[in-house]
Amino acid sequence: MKTFNVVGKNIKRNDALEKATGKAMFSTDMNIPGMLYAKVLRSPHAHALIKSIDTSQAEKIPGVKGIATWGNTPRELFNTSATMTFTVPSMEPVLDQYIFDKVVRYVGDEVAAVAAISEKVAAEALKHIKVEYELLPAVFDPLEAMKPEAPIIHECHAGKNIPAEIVKFGMGDIEKGFAESDIIFEDVFKLPIQKQAQLETQAALAQVGSDGGITVWSTTQTPHPSRMIISKIFSTPQSKIRVLNPPYVGGGFGVRIGLSAKAEPIAVALSKLTGKPVKIVYTREEDFTSSDTRHGGYVWVKLGCKNDGTFQAMELKSALNAGAYCSFSGETPGVLGAMGLAVYRMEHMSYYGHSVYTNFTPSGAMRGFGNPQAMFAIEAAVDTIAERIGMDPLELRLKNIIQVGDNWCLPYTCGSTGLAECVEKAAKVIGWERRGTLNEPGSKILRGIGMGVGTHCSNAWPFCVDYDNAIITVQQDGSILLAVGVPDIGTGTSTTLPQLAAEAIGVEMSQVNMTFGDTLTTPFDIGSHASRTLYAAGTAVVAAGNDVRKQILEYAAVVMKIALERLDITKGIIHISGSNEAESCEGSGICRSGEESMTHISVRELVYHAHLRNKQFIGIGRTIPPNSPPWHAHFYEVEVDTETGMVKVVKVAAAHDVGKAVNPMIVEGQIEGGVLMGVGYATSEEIKISAKGKPLHTSYHKYLLPTAMDAPEIHAIIVESNDPSGPYGAKGVGECGMVLSAAAIGNAVYDATGIRFNEIPLTPERVYKRLQENKK
Amino acid sequence: MNTFKLTFTLNGEVTEVLAEPSEMLVDILREKMYLTGAKKGCGKGECGACTVIMNGEAVNSCMIPAMKAMGAVVETIEGIGNKDKLHPLQESFINEGAIQCGYCTPGVIMSAKALLDKNLDPSNDEIKEAIAGNICRCTGYVKIVNAVMSASQKIKG
Repeated sequence: MKTFNVVGKNIKRNDALEKATGKAMFSTDMNIPGMLYAKVLRSPHAHALIKSIDTSQAEKIPGVKGIATWGNTPRELFNTSATMTFTVPSMEPVLDQYIFDKVVRYVGDEVAAVAAISEKVAAEALKHIKVEYELLPAVFDPLEAMKPEAPIIHECHAGKNIPAEIVKFGMGDIEKGFAESDIIFEDVFKLPIQKQAQLETQAALAQVGSDGGITVWSTTQTPHPSRMIISKIFSTPQSKIRVLNPPYVGGGFGVRIGLSAKAEPIAVALSKLTGKPVKIVYTREEDFTSSDTRHGGYVWVKLGCKNDGTFQAMELKSALNAGAYCSFSGETPGVLGAMGLAVYRMEHMSYYGHSVYTNFTPSGAMRGFGNPQAMFAIEAAVDTIAERIGMDPLELRLKNIIQVGDNWCLPYTCGSTGLAECVEKAAKVIGWERRGTLNEPGSKILRGIGMGVGTHCSNAWPFCVDYDNAIITVQQDGSILLAVGVPDIGTGTSTTLPQLAAEAIGVEMSQVNMTFGDTLTTPFDIGSHASRTLYAAGTAVVAAGNDVRKQILEYAAVVMKIALERLDITKGIIHISGSNEAESCEGSGICRSGEESMTHISVRELVYHAHLRNKQFIGIGRTIPPNSPPWHAHFYEVEVDTETGMVKVVKVAAAHDVGKAVNPMIVEGQIEGGVLMGVGYATSEEIKISAKGKPLHTSYHKYLLPTAMDAPEIHAIIVESNDPSGPYGAKGVGECGMVLSAAAIGNAVYDATGIRFNEIPLTPERVYKRLQENKK
Repeated sequence: MNTFKLTFTLNGEVTEVLAEPSEMLVDILREKMYLTGAKKGCGKGECGACTVIMNGEAVNSCMIPAMKAMGAVVETIEGIGNKDKLHPLQESFINEGAIQCGYCTPGVIMSAKALLDKNLDPSNDEIKEAIAGNICRCTGYVKIVNAVMSASQKIKG
């Protein structure tokens, strides 16, 4: 096996020192001279026409510098999500948003915004804007919203309130598959609306120059696509716009793939109106009510199986709650189906799914992107079938999981899988053999163990436009600058991408610096999402690194008078292959050019030698990533308190086939964080809605996401299948920790109680009610 | 505007600043002292991102009216260490991968410091309790708890 110098090591994160000392700069920390502060007036109604807006009183308040409404901002349709920049032909992106519209479609929709000398003055001014509404009927459930009598939220061509296309695909003959099945499970599952609840709320600071050039510091996960959206809204050339993170972003989890809700366009619009820089920071409540959520909705599954446990056919359907604007509601049902159908091998499969507009906060991208919804239903089906045919659910899964080269529904091949190893390792850690022996008769606490398996993607291609560029510029002093257009939203890309560059070129990690998350200093990249950054942007980084390495070696061969094939670079020293590469030549004299006895030269000295002869080494990586499935097996041990209905997750074993862990400590962190977010999804997190469409969970306190006190013992287990397509064998990991929690916790709770819950979260209220019903 | 002169000890230095009675300590630190280490995640005392130590106790600085800080001794993340001499907690957080997006980090470290200032031998549960008011959405708290534990051992020597 190849040995690495930098890859596979727990290198300390490049951003950690700044973050640990409080020096790290985030969008919410930005402060520039003359800056104004913006506040947004939001709709109190779920669906209404704006008959009139009177801003005259608000304008008179001292310190108010500008007020933006639909009347004085661009009437240019867009989509806050990056989907409008990377929808693949022949699909058409759905553009259904203005900065401000004459219709409001959910409680929290934007009506107007004020720029003032302080947040306090801006907030005061909002109270003095008079808006006359004409209320329209509203609808909140996706199934209701499809009915003929439901109000029209947007005109749609695919069906009543159905944005984008209906996604349909499959293979084989589904009817034949079920006809040949000995046993069939069929049921419907209901999923809640979950919130990313990242720590930094949506924020942007915009500065419009007198030449019309626009600079926006923001919390976006995708600076380059965001620039494209801003360019369209404000009819300004992309080349006159700079979008950047400053450089840190307080989490993402999908909530700002594209714009940070409407923070960027509102700040730009107000900056244009006032001629001053304008900063907007969403309150936590605004972040809850008015930025994208995970899709709630319905998933139907029908699974057919032979008595010997061979899966024959699976039919999967979904109807997701899009909320009031499309965002990623075209793609999410697609990924739900694609990932749901990619786990198990069988001849006959079909999928039919779409979203439906409702009068609620828009749903968009959130970690897992439809996959957790699919697996909650599918893994319940698998466990139920296992019970009915009397087979260990672990064995049933191992019998049916996809293998390398299998025919499947995805438009790329399964190039690697370590799933069986994931199952084996995680089962051992959880103690799977204890399953069924955990409960004492009469105990008030019921214990159970459940599992699930799944996959995901390593980037967005071919579902979305997905390509990467990386530029590596070797500086005259030998230090190396890597430029990649992805941000670091906390996932460690500003450490792992330099690791890949250092490995490819053959230099020490300390020799590589990186510029990221800035459209001015980096080439185009679609950003950090889809578990793609390390895999996809990393492929471009390795290509750029190899390019630079080749240039350096070609030049060195001439200088050193040694055949190119005999040269190697290790730890920043160019040397003859097989010689003691660690021996530094610097200062010894042999590094000097022209010496016949030269066997070593440092990269540092060689590049200066080249500089004096009018040459610089610049490597370029331009890649279209292939795609590859990361695999995972999750096992949960739970306790269910029969007196309170409380579900407590006590232990988690989460094994992930990440191809190759470029930085194992960072990979573990991704898995652990995903697991806990999934525990929240399964047991407590949900945004509910009042009869009039008001969201009821609009603060951390009300929303109940897991705290340190709720965190179970989590064992993150890394499995490496060395993927043939990824950089040094790596695959995606970012979203994967989140995918199986609800599925496996649902199975664990069934194991404990004998009750199958088709709806999450498993709140004490919901669980207690069923426990009581079960007693009768 | 009804301002008053707020005098308090900030990171070891006697500090005077004009404040409004309605202002919160977090805004004074961030907007007037340009100490942006304490973050604002909610403004309602629910997320802990703005945690600082006031008179030895970890507090949500978004819930401390300026008046209440009068005469107080306030420590922020910027005051407990720097790149040349890190606090053992900062060192552990860096070394053990306890930092991801970093937005909660200063607050978590300050809550943990308030704990270790009083208890150098905390149990896992005591650590979890001390940081229970600090929401982290990235890490699952695993490496955070480990980092606090190892910092306590480092300080004990």
